[in-house]
This record gives sequence, structure tokens and C-alpha cells, in this order.
Amino acid sequence: MNNITVKKLIEKIEGEAELDFTFNQGEIEDVKINFGFYRGIEEILRGHDAWDALVITPRVCGICNHAHLLAAVRAIENGYENSGLKVNLTSKAKAIREFTLSCELIQNHIKWLYMTIFPHFEKFVGAVSEENYAMKATYLASTITKALAVFSGQWPHASYAIPGGVTCDPTHLDVMQAQSLVDESIKFFEEVVIGLSIDDYLAMESVSSFDKIQGDFGKLLRLMIVNDMGNKGYSHDRFIVFGESVLSKPGRSIITNVTNVDISCVIENEQKGTVSKAVTYKDKFYEVGPLARGMVAKTPIVRSLHKRFKDSVLSRVFARIHEVALLLDYSKSLLNKLQLDEPSCVLKSDVRLTDFDGIGTVEAARGSLIHKTTVRDGVITNYDIITPTQWNLGNSKAVDQGIAIEAMIGSSSIEEATFIFRTFDVCSVCTTQ
Amino acid sequence: MASQNKPKLLWLQSITCNGNTHSFLNHPDLFFILSHFEVVHHPVLDSSYSMEDVIAGIVPCDILILEGSFQEEGFLKSGVEVSSIIKHYANKAKHIISVGTCATFGGIFKQKNPEAISGFCFNAEEKTERYNAYASKLISLPGCPMHPKWLSYVLLMISGKKDIPIDNLHRPVELYGYTVHMGCTRNEYFEWKIDTKTFGLKEGCLFYETGCRGPYTRGSCNKILWNDINSKTRAGTPCFGCTEPNYPQESFFETKTNMGIPDKMPLGVSKRAYLTLTSVAKSFTIKRFSERLMEYDK
Ligand code: SF4
Ligand code: SF4
Repeated sequence: MNNITVKKLIEKIEGEAELDFTFNQGEIEDVKINFGFYRGIEEILRGHDAWDALVITPRVCGICNHAHLLAAVRAIENGYENSGLKVNLTSKAKAIREFTLSCELIQNHIKWLYMTIFPHFEKFVGAVSEENYAMKATYLASTITKALAVFSGQWPHASYAIPGGVTCDPTHLDVMQAQSLVDESIKFFEEVVIGLSIDDYLAMESVSSFDKIQGDFGKLLRLMIVNDMGNKGYSHDRFIVFGESVLSKPGRSIITNVTNVDISCVIENEQKGTVSKAVTYKDKFYEVGPLARGMVAKTPIVRSLHKRFKDSVLSRVFARIHEVALLLDYSKSLLNKLQLDEPSCVLKSDVRLTDFDGIGTVEAARGSLIHKTTVRDGVITNYDIITPTQWNLGNSKAVDQGIAIEAMIGSSSIEEATFIFRTFDVCSVCTTQ
Repeated sequence: MASQNKPKLLWLQSITCNGNTHSFLNHPDLFFILSHFEVVHHPVLDSSYSMEDVIAGIVPCDILILEGSFQEEGFLKSGVEVSSIIKHYANKAKHIISVGTCATFGGIFKQKNPEAISGFCFNAEEKTERYNAYASKLISLPGCPMHPKWLSYVLLMISGKKDIPIDNLHRPVELYGYTVHMGCTRNEYFEWKIDTKTFGLKEGCLFYETGCRGPYTRGSCNKILWNDINSKTRAGTPCFGCTEPNYPQESFFETKTNMGIPDKMPLGVSKRAYLTLTSVAKSFTIKRFSERLMEYDK
């Protein structure tokens, strides 16, 4: 047999990964994904006070820390409910939490567009421009995280969501500050990213109106179509969503057929040669993330794109940037409706249950994030974190290829395959916790 | 461009969450600050050398920024011990900046294996065996994560060839001379010993019952605001003491007390001074502090 294996270190993702590519007659036949180092957050949590998860789990990841905070707080609230204490959040607390999470997704997606996709795609297709993409990325990301910090105190690594609500008590002045930061972000998005008004953009329902998209996103889409990215990177066309959000309800989509999900069918398995665990649903790999949310929610433009280009690189990239528009629009409406006279937190600070089991799910930037906590005598006895990247980046099993691996198989070059890999918005720190 | 003459900046990650990287990307003057340097390698920003070059040891380096906890053996990149990569560049560099509590003292990830994992030059408050070799060029910027402006201060001081005054743990005094308590909007409640009791209110201090470590934590979070706009305590979240050598401790949202008295006193304050002041403060009932700061429907 003339199989050759080539090792490649992938950097400038969140952390690093090592890929082993196996070629057969010039085509990639198999890939192994290795992540280096297990940091052991789940073990660190054992023996800590139940609420300490609100401080420690955000340190799983510097770019999606807020999603971890919200998964952690939901796990405790769910545990309280399972033990008989119903937590009825005020609409204000709910809206503030959704707002801050939306901001985090926006900063993530925009950094990914400008710092991962643009530079690497241009390099890959040999069309390198002199643009300072990182400046665009950090401008929008720091503006929107400032709006986030109005409520959370800081970003990264805030712990302002607590069982029963949020710790902040904003005034109209605070809300106004956040509003103008969101408006500034929308303006930048319209002028620089999409080159048309966000309302016109959101009114588009089909691929046939793609020509209207201008700006950097328009430029990228055209460059991708010319380079056949609508035909590259197909995976299993199976998608799953566990968290409830404005972007999607929970569910799974196979080809285009959407059905319900049951979280008890999720299984984590150890994998050889890497410290990350693979995750399956009823023994099959599913893709999570923006494309999954678009497919499960049946977002018209995502569906229209999928009809033509299936689960290709193009669809995957489009779905993520499309979320920026949806979330900017949504965060604006959240602030407009905020009821400041409602309580921020409905539980007194000394209300603490000591024995409970809870599950918290959140739609993070990269997909569904699940936290499970077991608390006895006020102390965490077990904590389980399943991150989005574990779904997308798991290694193949006998019956099924991993999601990203399936997408890379068939590529004729390492450059192409690593670019496909990057379209999954890889995060090694989350994968290895 | 005269980039050859600019100091060469190498940002190296060890056991980390990337939080300091993302914290620094929020700096409003990021590209102005970086324009003083040649970024030879950075975890996400475009840079002149690849990670493979870094691992091969061929990258020039004047300023080494270290992010993440240190482990002598068992943490590899491309089959090479990260500890040896760090030491290689630490020997070359003229300045070493440890960003974040992990790189400085060990931080959160130290908890996984406290025997083997530490900061680069400190293990919590203790000096590691590497300390002597690098002390003359070491600046510590603890914080989980560090504040972007703390790093820009150090970088611009270095590029301006100015000396950076530091304390015994190598923290710049201009940044860590403050306690987090200084500048908090809840100071009046602290003075009169009134805890917020319920989270989600702008009134009340978080020191007495709800876990705030601001009065004994060094850091300028309430002087140099986060994201230029806010801080934990202003947003009603207790300070967790994330800049301190012994971070993280237990029970972040509760104050450990002994017969009603907080176990840990504000920095430099004796129990006697504290108790004297408390009994005076508590002997008065001040109406304003039992009311909301602002009433909307009067
Ligand atoms: S909340 Fe913390 S930082 Fe603020 S006044 Fe009270 S003790 Fe000081
Ligand atoms: S307020 Fe305290 S916990 Fe928060 S960043 Fe500052 S030192 Fe760290």
C-alpha cells in the first residue's frame, strides 16, 4: 500500500492542534486530530462549593467564558428545581443574560471571520491582501464586549450570573451606554462587513439575493464561490442543538428532517492518543454550531443555501456570519424591552440548597455546551462539561467518521484540509478542558 | 519599515485558557501599542514566525510574554517540552512579563496538580528554583485575566526605556499599589458596615457576608476600569481576589466569618483597629443607607 502519513501542527486557532493526515493516491483518506494537554477543570471543581463553578468554569476558555458561566448557573438552577425550589427569573434577568451571551457570540464570530477565515483563506487561494483584518476584528469585538461589561462588570471572565438572576442593577444611563455601543457595532457591521443595511440584509431569504451582500462578507462569499467552496468540506449532514435560544430551539436535523432530542442519549467516550473525549448521540456524530442552529431552526436563507451547497464550507461560513446579523438585531431589541423596575435577582444570597443534581445547556459560539453538576452537602462531588468542539472534532469510530474528519476526507492537499478544519472554529482549550 | 530596530516581542502560551490573550485584544489602542514592537510570534495575531519556528528555537526575542501555568515535564508541543521552549527564550530575552495569575503564581490550573504545576518564577508566594536566574528581568502582571492596560503600561515603559518600579513579587507598584476596594462605588456602605445581603442591588457592600475580597486584594480594577467601563464590584459581583498568589480559594460568594467578624481583615488593618471602628460605625443608624439610592416613583 502506498499510504503516507503527514503530521501538521495547526496554530492560531484557540490554542493548537496536531493533525495526522493519511494520504492514499494523492487524496486524504483519514485524519487523526490530537489535542495536547488536559487541564482538568472537572477534577479541580470536585470538593469546591457548588457556586464556585460560576468562577472556575469560565476559565475553561478565554473566548467563550461567558457561555460557561451561563451553563454553570443554569446547571445550579436546574438542580435547585429538581430538588423542589423553583427559580422564576424575572424577564429583566433573563433578558440581561441573553444580551450578554449574544455579545459574546458576536465578538467570537467576528474574530473568527477576520482573524481565522480571511487571512487563511486568502493565503490558501493565493489572494493575500494588505488589509489589517485584526484591526477590524478587535474594533468590533472590543466595542460589543464593552456593551457586555456594562452588565457583567468585565469581559473576559465575569461571574455576574448567579442562581436567581444577575448581580448587576443597571440604570437607564447604563442601558443607554450599552445601546449606543450596540448601535456603533451595527453601524460598523453595515458599513464594513455587509455593505448594506441590516434590515435589508435580514429581509433576504434566498441565495438568489447574495449579490446584494457587499463589504468584506460579500467579497469573501464571492471568493469562496469562485474557489468552489460550495463543493468542499461536506460532512454527514447531521446537526444537533441542545440549548434553547433565539437562534434555535433544541432539535436535530438529518438532511433536512428536524426531530426532537433527548439529552440522556448523549454519550462521551475516551479516545486513544488525544486527551479530548468524543461525543455521540445515539452512537452517531452530529455537527453543532451556527450551521446546525440554522438547519434546526429552518432559517430560510440557511436552508436555501443548504439546498444548493449542502453542508459545505460555504454554508458553514455563511451560517456563522449570518448569526452576527441576527444577534446584533436581537440584542438591540432586548435592550429596548428591558424592564428596569423588576428585581435583578429573585433569591436571597443565603438561599443555598446543599443536595442536588442539575444540567445546564447553552448555545455557545461553537454550538451546544452542556454542564452537569452533582452537589452533596453543598460541595461538588462530580462535574461534567461537554463542549461544542468535542462534537465537531471527535476522532472517527469504527462505524462513523468524526464530523470535521469527514469534511476533510477527499481533499487533495493539506492546505485545503486545514482550511476546512478552521471553518469549524476550532478551540483546543475547550476540547481538552 | 524599520522593524529590525524595534524590540522583538514573543508571546508564548503554556497551560492556559487564552484569557489574557483575549483580554489584551480588547485594548482600545492595541495597534498603536504594538507598533512599537515587532511581533515575532503571537497566539492569534499575524506574526513574523510560525509556532514551528518558535519550537525550533530560531526566533529572536527581546521581550518574552508568558501566559499560562508552568510545568517542568509532560506538557508538549509537537513533541517538545514547553518548559524547555520557555527557558530557551527566557534566557535570550531582556524582559520577561508573566501575564495572568497562572504564569505568575500558578493560578487555577495549578490546582490540578499543585506539586508539579506553578508559575514560572513563583509557586504561589514562594520563589521557584528558576527565580534567581530571571529575577533581574521579571515583571509580574497577575490577574485572572490581567487587565489589558496593565500590559500596555509595562510595554510602553519598556519601549520608552523607563524603569518600572516593582514590589517584592515583581508587580509594578503603579498598578498593584492600590487595593481593588479603592474606587469601588460601594465604599460608603463599607465604612458603615452595611452588606448588600441580596445580590442584584447597587446598594450595600459585599465584604461582610457576600464574599468580596477587594479590601485585601492588590489591583487597580476600580481605578483602571475593565473594558473602560466597569468592574466586578460595581456590577454587584464580589472581587474573587484573582490577582493574589493564593488564588483561587474556596466559597467565592460567601464571607468566612468567625463570630460574625470576617476572617480576613483589610490589608494592613489589625483586628483591634477593625473592631473599634466597627463598634462605632454600628452604633449609629443612618437612614440614608437603609434606603434605595434612587427612587423612581416618588
Ligand atoms: S464591595 Fe468590595 S470593593 Fe466594594 S466597597 Fe465593598 S469591600 Fe470594597
Ligand atoms: S475585581 Fe478582583 S476578581 Fe475581579 S479582576 Fe479585579 S482582582 Fe480579579
